[in-house]
Amino acid sequence: MITRRECVAPGFWCVGFRAPRIAGAVRAAQYVAIDQPGRFAVRLPLGIWTAEGDEITVLFREWGERTAQLAHSDIGTAVDLIGPLGNDFTIPARGARATIVAGGLGVVPFWLLGKRLLAADVQTRVVLGARTAALLVGAAELRALGLNVELCTDDGTAGTRGSVLDALDSEPPADIVYGCGPPNMLRALSKRCVAANMPCEISMEETFGCSMGTCWGCVVPVRRGAKQGSGYPKAHAESRDFDYSRVCFDGTVYAAADLVWSA
Amino acid sequence: MTELARERIDPTTRIGKSELKNFVIAASGCYNRGAEFGRVTDVSAYGAITLKSVTLQPRLGNGMPRVLPAPAGLLNAIGLQGPGIEHFLAHDAPHLREVQTAVIASVAGFSVAEFAEVAARMDGLPNVVAIELDVSCPNVDREGECFAANPESTADVVRAVKARVRLPVIAKLTPNVTDVKPIARAAESAGADAISLINAVRGMAIDVARSQPWLANVSGGLTGPAIRPIAVLAVWEAAQAVRIPIIGMGGIETGRDALEFVLAGASAVAIGTANFRNPDVAALVADALVDAAAERGLTSVRALVGSANPSFAGERSH
Repeated sequence: MITRRECVAPGFWCVGFRAPRIAGAVRAAQYVAIDQPGRFAVRLPLGIWTAEGDEITVLFREWGERTAQLAHSDIGTAVDLIGPLGNDFTIPARGARATIVAGGLGVVPFWLLGKRLLAADVQTRVVLGARTAALLVGAAELRALGLNVELCTDDGTAGTRGSVLDALDSEPPADIVYGCGPPNMLRALSKRCVAANMPCEISMEETFGCSMGTCWGCVVPVRRGAKQGSGYPKAHAESRDFDYSRVCFDGTVYAAADLVWSA
Repeated sequence: MTELARERIDPTTRIGKSELKNFVIAASGCYNRGAEFGRVTDVSAYGAITLKSVTLQPRLGNGMPRVLPAPAGLLNAIGLQGPGIEHFLAHDAPHLREVQTAVIASVAGFSVAEFAEVAARMDGLPNVVAIELDVSCPNVDREGECFAANPESTADVVRAVKARVRLPVIAKLTPNVTDVKPIARAAESAGADAISLINAVRGMAIDVARSQPWLANVSGGLTGPAIRPIAVLAVWEAAQAVRIPIIGMGGIETGRDALEFVLAGASAVAIGTANFRNPDVAALVADALVDAAAERGLTSVRALVGSANPSFAGERSH
């Protein structure tokens, strides 16, 4: 059942559901697959933002028909959810230093991760960026957890002017870096961490079909031999030397070192 | 007409010499190939599940994006990503023993010889009761023309496979033709034990923000409720053209949807995309077909087959 719905920035919505079982089980970077009434053939997958008590929330951009319908649903509407789905991030040892790098809606997995890292006594730095101040979402909720959040925008309308990656230069390297955001940002972050030999985990996004690992519609290229890959042998006539992994089922979280960005 | 108790209704059907415990089959591509059955849903509600198609060689499949939700449908171009027959036999086939229902093996190929070779190696695997031929692939021996677009090509594949296997053979036909009847007849004449239809309907979408096709493959196949009326007509027409059993599919989400196909002449129905929305859809549809027979005072679901189709050419059951 929909418990709340709030426009948090132009075109960005936070919708809450009463879902006790999911709220009790969810880990960072997991998602729910939402069945919607009407002319939709597949479920709408959305990353889980917060989970408190019996309630989970999702934070999303109104983009197509399915997200528009959810954004404008009435509070009290019954909703069929499957979840929590997907894997989660690695939590380092007590006392380790972690950096979270989020671009725009890439903030979604980091409320749950931030909470978990704080509980595990991991020193956590959050760098949150967006194109402009109006598109920065989630900072207040992360700060309310007790996290230290640094902001940056491409146009300088909030926080430091520049990209989230620039902010990485200002501090000594972390023991682990977590990233989620637009593909270009993730590619740059990933390459940088791999080059610096710094452990880095990325939560990936793709358009899902089935949300259950069976249609193979949401794959990302991973290095051959990566444990999240299909494990299928290389085709004889195939020039592309990588494997594909299903984001919905094998992900959404990948070690940056396993991702192939040149594919 | 008296309504009969549900327990007294025979829910079974036959595909060639293989009997299925009910009319409802999982379509190819929605339950992988073996190792992952049953994790999300109980496949025992199905009369049979069809494996994702297996090809001779491993295939990486198409680039991304591969899918796009469409109005009442799903547009997809996966490109038969798969392990190839060798890897399938070594890693997936042993798990078929654990599947709690009958299995239909699906074979895809790019030449007649490939179909025959892969089908022969599928024959006799544990729980496998039939072999479905995904003849909607491009034929490399005929300049990439889709096998199922041509009666002779379809017949060539069926004949070559029938010569190599003992199990019943199902030819899965495409709706992307002017007239499906000559192709259905060609499959039957070549020895097919059943036909299944429809495969996905060709389509595409354009990403207007980027002014480029949405799918990496440019074109894809549309599935889901959007294609149901196209599928019902194809089954209706094929059922007037051939005597062999027809497995009807295309956008089935409910018992009422499935009943349309059965009344048009389908001796079984397959469910694909709807599994993604409702993992319990198989039981719902199977029960609804039994109820439909009971409401009409019939003693079997089979007695419903073709009963809306005055020119139904198949075998009637009473």
